[in-house]
Amino acid sequence: MEEKKLTSTHYERELREVKKNLIYLGALAEKAIHDATTSLLERNSDLAHEVIAGDDQINKLDVEIEEKCIRLLALRQPAARDLRFIATAIKINGHLERIGDMAVNIAKRALILNKEPQLKPYIDLPRMADITRGMIRESLDALINEDCDLANKVRRDDEMVDNLNDQIFRELLTFMMEDHRTIHRAILITQISKNLERVSDHAESIADMVIYMVTGKSVRHQISDEKHEK
Amino acid sequence: MQYAPTKGIKAHMKSRLFYKIFGTYLVIIVLSMAIVGFLVGKEVKNKLMEKIEYDLITYARMINLTSPKKEIEKKVVQLARISNARITLIDTAGKVLADSEKDISTMDNHLNRPEIQEAKVLDKGTATRFSHTLGVDMFYVALPVKSDSMAIGYIRLARPLVEIKNSVRKLYGLIFQSFIIILILSFMIAFIFFSRLTSPIQEMEQFTKRLREGEDPGTLMIDSSDEMGRLAMNINYMVMELQERVRSANEEKGKLEAAFASMTDGVLVLDSQDKIEASNEAFKDIFGVKYRDIIGKTPVEAFRNIELQNALDRFRETRVPVSQEVTLGDGEQIILDINVSSIHGLPNGEEKTMVVFHDFTRLKKLEKMRVDFVANITHEIKTPLTAILGFIETLQEGAIEEKETARKFLETIYRHAGRLNRLVEDLLTISDIELGEMKFFFESVSLSGLVENVLPVIESKAVEKGLVIDKNIPEELSPIRADRDRLAQILLNVLDNAVKFTPESGKVSITAFDDKKGYVIVSISDTGVGVPEDEIPRLGERFYRVDKARSRELGGTGLGLSIVKHLMIAHKGRIEIKSRLGRGTTVSLSFPVFEGEGNV
Repeated sequence: MEEKKLTSTHYERELREVKKNLIYLGALAEKAIHDATTSLLERNSDLAHEVIAGDDQINKLDVEIEEKCIRLLALRQPAARDLRFIATAIKINGHLERIGDMAVNIAKRALILNKEPQLKPYIDLPRMADITRGMIRESLDALINEDCDLANKVRRDDEMVDNLNDQIFRELLTFMMEDHRTIHRAILITQISKNLERVSDHAESIADMVIYMVTGKSVRHQISDEKHEK
Repeated sequence: MQYAPTKGIKAHMKSRLFYKIFGTYLVIIVLSMAIVGFLVGKEVKNKLMEKIEYDLITYARMINLTSPKKEIEKKVVQLARISNARITLIDTAGKVLADSEKDISTMDNHLNRPEIQEAKVLDKGTATRFSHTLGVDMFYVALPVKSDSMAIGYIRLARPLVEIKNSVRKLYGLIFQSFIIILILSFMIAFIFFSRLTSPIQEMEQFTKRLREGEDPGTLMIDSSDEMGRLAMNINYMVMELQERVRSANEEKGKLEAAFASMTDGVLVLDSQDKIEASNEAFKDIFGVKYRDIIGKTPVEAFRNIELQNALDRFRETRVPVSQEVTLGDGEQIILDINVSSIHGLPNGEEKTMVVFHDFTRLKKLEKMRVDFVANITHEIKTPLTAILGFIETLQEGAIEEKETARKFLETIYRHAGRLNRLVEDLLTISDIELGEMKFFFESVSLSGLVENVLPVIESKAVEKGLVIDKNIPEELSPIRADRDRLAQILLNVLDNAVKFTPESGKVSITAFDDKKGYVIVSISDTGVGVPEDEIPRLGERFYRVDKARSRELGGTGLGLSIVKHLMIAHKGRIEIKSRLGRGTTVSLSFPVFEGEGNV
C-alpha cells in the first residue's frame, strides 16, 4: 500500500497537473469568448483589447499542456483510461486554443465595429453568443464530470448555432442589398457569426472527445452525417 | 453479566484455560497416587511377609521333632491343615523325610535350597521363589530341627504368595477407586475454580467489547478484592478517563463545527492534494444551486474561474495568505472577497488550505448605485444650470437690449429653472419618503372619481400627440385605502410616462378591477416604445433611463418611477411592469381595498 502510494504519486500528480491546466485553459477560452462577444454587444473596446492581449497566455498554456502530455506518454507509458485521457487532452487542448483564436478574431472585428454606428439592434447574435458560450461551458462541465449526457446535449446544440448563422447571413444580405454603405459592417458581422459557428463546432468536438474518453467509443462525425442524410 | 449454566459448561469445556487448570490437577493427583500406591504397597507387602514368616515359625515350633517318625508325619499333615501351609521335613543330608502335599519319593534332594542353606548357617532361612514342585510363587521358611543342640534335620514351611499378591492387588484397587473419586472431585473443583476465575474475565471481555462498539458500557462490577477486582477498578478508571477525553474532544470539535457552520462567510477546506474537502452552510447559501457537487473536486474543476485559480496558485507559490476580489458565475454574478490561507496545527503535519468567501455583491451594487447617483445628480443639475448661466451671460453681454431675443432667452431660462425646480422637488420627495418624514393621510378613496380629476392634467398633452386615452374604471369598484394626493401623484407619474413614451396616434388605456383577494389592480397600458426585458428590474432605480437622450429630451428627471415605487411601498401596494420592446408597456398597480375606519 505504502509502496504503491510512493511509486504512483509522482505520476498521478503529473496527470492531475495536466487535468488542472487543461481545465484552466478551458476557463481562459470560455472567458475569452465571453469577453469578445460582450465587447461587441456592449460596444466595449477595452474588453476587446483585453481579449486580444490575453491570447498570449492561451497559446503558452496550449504548448505547455501538449509538452506535458507528450512527456507523460513517453516516460510513463500510460494504459487504458489514462492513455485515453491523455490522447483526449491533446486533442481538446488544440480545440481550446483554436477557440481562443476565434475570440481574438471576434474581438478584432468588434474593435472596428465599435468605432462605427451600430448597423442594427443585435437580436440573433446575442442568442448565438449565448448558446455558444453555453456549449463551451457544458462541454467543459462534461469533461470535468465525465458526463456523457451533457456531452450529447452539446453535440445536439450545435445545430441551433448553425441555423442562427444562416439566419444572420440572410438578414444581413438584405441590408447589404438595400444600402451599400452597410456592406463593410455587415461583412464584419457575418464574419463574427461565422467565427461563433466555428467555436460551437470546436465545443462539439470537445464533447465528442469527452464521450470517447469516458466510453472508449468514437462518435465523431456521426451527427454531421445524420444532418447530411436529411 | 450472567451466563446460562448449560452454555457455561459447554463454554468451559471448550476453554483451553479450563483444561490447563484441570490438567495440572490431574498431573498432581496421578503423581501423588502413584507415590502413595508404591510406598503403601511395598509396606503392606513387607508387613504381610513378616506376619507370614512369624506365623510359619510359630507353627514350625509346634512340631516336636523328637517324636517318632510316623507320628511326625501325622503331625505334619495335621499342622499343615491348621497352618494352611505346606510343610516339608528334610534331614541333614537333604533327603525329604515328609511332605504335607507331595509324595516324598518323587522329590529330589533339598539340601541346596536357599532357605535350607540359610537355616543351616543362621538357624533360620527364608526365601521367595517359584516352586517347581507346585508351580506357584511360594514363601519358604526353614528351621533346623535340633536334638541336644545338634541339627538332625530341617523343617520347612511354605505358603503360596497368592495371598499377599491378592492383598496388594486389593489395596491397589482401593487406591484406584479413590483416584477415580478424587479425579471427579478435582474436576468439579477445577470447574468451580475456573468459573470463579473466568467469570470476571468474561465480564471484562464483554465490557471492553461494548466499549469498543461504542455502546455505553456502564461500570464494570467485579465483587472481589484480589487482582481481578483491582484490574476491574483500573479498567473502570480508564474508561471514565477515556470517556471524559472523548467527551471533551467532541465538545471541542462541536464548538469548531458550530463556528464553521454558523459563519456568515462561506468557507471551503482544501486537502493537501488541493481537493475540496468540506464546505459550510454559508457557502451553500451564497451559491444556492450553483456549484453543488464540488466535494472531491479541485477548485479549477469546481469553479473554472481564472481569478480564483490565480489567487490559489499565488498562495501555493508564496504561502502568504492571499486576499482578492473574485467574480463568480455567468449571468447572475456573485462578487466575492476571497481569502486564501493555510490551516496550521493539523495532526500528521498535513497542510490544508482554507478559502473564505465573503459575499459583497449587494454592497458592491449599493456602492455602484451611490456612485451612479452622485454622477447622475451632478449631470442632471449641471445641464440646466449650464444652459441658464449661458443665456444669462449672453443677456449681460447685450442681448438684453434686443427685446425679442431677450424674451426668448428668458423663456428658455425659465424652462430650465423649472426643470431644475422639478428635479429638486422630486429629490426632496424621495428623500422625505426615504427618511420617513413624509406624512400620509390614508382614507377611503374612490378610484373612478380620482381618475376623473387626474386625467384632464394629462389629456392636453395626449391630445397634442394625437393619442387616444381609453378609460375603463367600473363605478362600483371597492374604495381603496390610499392618501388622496399621493395616489394622484402615482397615477400622474405613470400616466405621464405612458403618454411620453408612446409615439403619435398611439393609445393609452387605464383599467381597474378587484382581484377579490383584498386588492384593486389599476393597469395603465400604452402602445409605446417598450422596455427591454432585462432592464425592467432596474426601472425603479433613481436616474435610471432606458434611453438617456430621449428621456431628457422629453423633460423627465429620471426620478418618476423611483418615486412611484417608494409611494407604492408606503401604500402597502405592489407595482408590476410588463413590457415588450416596440409593443408597449403595462404598469399594474395593486392597492389594498379600504377596510373600515381609521387612519394608519
